[in-house]
Amino acid sequence: MNRSLAIVLAIIGIWLAWSSFYILHEGEQAIVTHFGEYRYSVREPGLYPKWPIANEVHRMERRILGTDSPPQEYLTLDKKKLVADPVSRWRIVDPLRFHTSVRDESGAKARISDIVNSELRREIANNDFGDIIGTARGPMMQRVAEGARGRVAAFGIELVDVRIKRADLPLEVQESVFARMRAERDRSAKRYRSEGHEEAAKIRAETDKTRAILLAEAYRDAQSLRGEGDGESARIYAEAYGKDPDFYALTRSLQVYENTITEKDALVLSTGSDLLSHVDSP
Amino acid sequence: MSNQFGGGRPPDLADVMAQVSDSLGRNFRKLGPVVLILFLLFLAATGFYQVEPGEVGVVRTLGKETGRTEPGLHFRIPLLQRVDVVDISEVRRIEVGFRGDQVKAAEAQMLTGDENMVQAQMIVQYRIADPSKYLFRLARPEDTLRATAEVVLRSVVGRMTIDDVITRGRGQVQTESLEELQRLMNTYESGIEITEVKLQSVDPPDPVKDAFHDVVRAREEKEKLINQARGYQEDLIPRARGEAQQMLRSAEAYKEQRVLEATGDAERFNALYAEYRKAEKVTRRRLHLESMERVLAKVDSKTIVDRQLSGSTLPILPLGNKPAVRAAVGATVATEQGAAQ
Repeated sequence: MNRSLAIVLAIIGIWLAWSSFYILHEGEQAIVTHFGEYRYSVREPGLYPKWPIANEVHRMERRILGTDSPPQEYLTLDKKKLVADPVSRWRIVDPLRFHTSVRDESGAKARISDIVNSELRREIANNDFGDIIGTARGPMMQRVAEGARGRVAAFGIELVDVRIKRADLPLEVQESVFARMRAERDRSAKRYRSEGHEEAAKIRAETDKTRAILLAEAYRDAQSLRGEGDGESARIYAEAYGKDPDFYALTRSLQVYENTITEKDALVLSTGSDLLSHVDSP
Repeated sequence: MSNQFGGGRPPDLADVMAQVSDSLGRNFRKLGPVVLILFLLFLAATGFYQVEPGEVGVVRTLGKETGRTEPGLHFRIPLLQRVDVVDISEVRRIEVGFRGDQVKAAEAQMLTGDENMVQAQMIVQYRIADPSKYLFRLARPEDTLRATAEVVLRSVVGRMTIDDVITRGRGQVQTESLEELQRLMNTYESGIEITEVKLQSVDPPDPVKDAFHDVVRAREEKEKLINQARGYQEDLIPRARGEAQQMLRSAEAYKEQRVLEATGDAERFNALYAEYRKAEKVTRRRLHLESMERVLAKVDSKTIVDRQLSGSTLPILPLGNKPAVRAAVGATVATEQGAAQ
């Protein structure tokens, strides 16, 4: 009997020792309650004592957590529809407030989603679609985070930042965007083609022009050279033959006879001519 | 146990208790130390762990991070110490817009700054640079990285025009995405280092792909047309230059030829004239006779008419009747030649 009592006592002892301490790990924090009443928060990791049974340790994340809200439709300043899904990063900085206001992570996520969505709705309504897609997105998300930060502080939550993961057009609008894109591309395809023709025609015309000018210039120079040749030869002839035109006429006439009278020609000569005057009279 | 008692009489509870505790006690006394030693050995064995090359062990003692262990075999105190072994050298990757061979259309499709749409696929390569942060500062680091990569890619593409994104801006998207992603992951205390951001592909969405391809074709056609025209130019202009040179050269040749011929003719005339001046009358006569000789020698058909008949007989000569003429002429030729000599 004594031994069994010792065993029971040992088991109780172990349990007491076990439940008088708790280990808080890196990345965790906790609040400790005494019969359900808040006592204190623990934020650093380590081994801590507590009252068995009376004290309860509620652990929670100390790491940065994320909330990925489902996509929602928003209306921009220029009355365009935009589908966006904000992503928030946050951490628990006040375990007590967190525990009393939202209890756990899923509760916190729902509240953060609501707050961020409403902030985002307001900011999107103040901006044009094009700006939200482009350059204004960064500053706009800063303002959303700024606005939401104050409101989630009440839950013991610090908002690290808020970003839009996807910012897209609603499905029914996409088809019209595609149609516009097609039209734009068709336009530039046509432009490229006609630019090609334009450029080619320019080059061909320029070529034809250059060619015509080249040939005409050559013709001009050639004719002038030929003229010079003709002129020069005329001068030389005139100079030579001018000495005795009569003699020139004789020699040239004789040349003409020699060159033009061929064997096919028939000559009728009179003995009255100088040449043949000796045929019948010595 | 029940058949041990047998009989119909219910067993005495105290007896049973005594029996159980007795046998327990007896067994414990014998087996107790053995069980205890086995238990302690088992506990100690679970305390050994191995860290592979490229890994680091992060040791927590009573929940608090107390140190790191290098590759090798190590011991941790069971129950009091915990170790997370993290691979800090392996470069891991996540895929945005696709998984393996499959395109994730909703994830890949995004708006550009000029309100067009593109489908972009990106690979992010990263490694764990700070295991403590990776383990203890950010919950679900991989999910966070994936979501943030999407955020960053969309915001970078959203600042550019579709033409930039598809063509020249590829490098810009990569560098800007890398910088911004690293900056955000640092603010989330992820302990992750982004080593590379690679844009796999940036394409127009399927419904407009053909139109985009047509633009590329049109651009190529434009180049083709221009090249053809340039070919025409390359072909024609040198030919024309050659033709022009040909014209010039032939004109130059003509000029030279004319002048030289004229000079030659003039020199011949001058030389003859110089002699002619010495004996004008006889030279005239001689030149005339020599020419006539050559002319008459050449001509087949010659008719010599008496000076009294000239002017009246000519019309009736049978000039068309060649053999008759030749016969009549036979004698006169001999006479002519005789006279010429």
